[in-house]
Amino acid sequence: MVDLIPSLPSTTAALDAERTRLEVIAQNIANANTTRGIDGRPYQRQQVVFQAVLDAAQAGNGSATPATVPQVVRIEKDTRPGSAIYQPGHPDADANGMVQLPNVNIYEEMADMIVASRTYDANVAVFKNGRTMAMQALSIGKHS
Amino acid sequence: MIDALFNDPGYLGAKRMLDATVVRHEAIASNIANAETPHYKRLDLAPSFQQELQNALASQNPARINALQPTLAPDPQALAANRDGNSVNLEHELVELGRNTLENAVQTQIVSSMLAKLRLAITGKT
Amino acid sequence: MHGITSIHQILPGQSALAAAGSDPASSVSLPSAQLRELNASLPGGAAEVQPAVSGSFSSLLDRAVQDVNAKQSAANQALQGLQSGQNVSLHQAMIASEEANVSFQLMVETRNRLLESYQEIMRMTV
Repeated sequence: MVDLIPSLPSTTAALDAERTRLEVIAQNIANANTTRGIDGRPYQRQQVVFQAVLDAAQAGNGSATPATVPQVVRIEKDTRPGSAIYQPGHPDADANGMVQLPNVNIYEEMADMIVASRTYDANVAVFKNGRTMAMQALSIGKHS
Repeated sequence: MIDALFNDPGYLGAKRMLDATVVRHEAIASNIANAETPHYKRLDLAPSFQQELQNALASQNPARINALQPTLAPDPQALAANRDGNSVNLEHELVELGRNTLENAVQTQIVSSMLAKLRLAITGKT
Repeated sequence: MHGITSIHQILPGQSALAAAGSDPASSVSLPSAQLRELNASLPGGAAEVQPAVSGSFSSLLDRAVQDVNAKQSAANQALQGLQSGQNVSLHQAMIASEEANVSFQLMVETRNRLLESYQEIMRMTV
């Protein structure tokens, strides 16, 4: 396929990665109060791990940039323990009346969500500018 | 005879600057895409390119201007602001992105108008 | 009358023709042999009329045609490289094809001017 807009692969990889991150954050927020999950234990917060992966195809293309594209390498569970509150009447309370809550901190999640969506917007701006530059290049030979 | 048409140093310089803006766009795109990647160092045009281009233009030697290629290098002046060693500042990159797109428009306009002038001189019509 | 003076450059040895070129109002009868040579040297015949002038205008035209050809093939290569996804950027391909167009136009206009001047000569009453 013709590579008209420069550096498209890294931009699309970043958009994918940020969207994955936003989905994980949404799932965390939705399950912030799930005290009993499928495995019977409280929901464990998940987080994405980014890594720069060498894109072999782009490196072979001879393009000017070193070919690192961001990728979500894995989604891992946050192993920090959540807080426990004393609520003896709760159906999931243990023998001492303590209920184990998920280790989701709403404020952390909101901050992460803002950062992720800002990065997403920035990558969309990159794509738009690249398209503008390609359109300008097409007008080089235009007769008025 | 034909090559002499296109050997004006100003024209060749504008073409090199146009190449440089396209290459710089790739660098800025990579920076923004890797804004969250640990240990990523931001890229930009090699700092020597601007100086080399000015020297080549001053020498008025077409072959020398033609041989100049813009390259990318890690920015030595960028400080790692984050804990994870990432030296990308997102606002700074967005500003550079806008500026670079404008620079691209300017250089495209310069090249285009030089070609239009040639066409006018040859055919008498725009 | 620029067409007449360029004929003067083609055949510098033809002093009678030069005299006719500098004063188009006067009627000079050209020897028919010189007229035949003039016929052979203009459109259709890029071959040398006299060995003494072989280094000048006709070889210049030859070189120009070759240069235009080179520009066209460079533009074709750039477009092909763009389509096959090799390392040719869009603006480079556009500039290459525009330069080829301008070179081709120059050649066409040169041919038109030569034709006009030839016809101007032929219209002269001998």
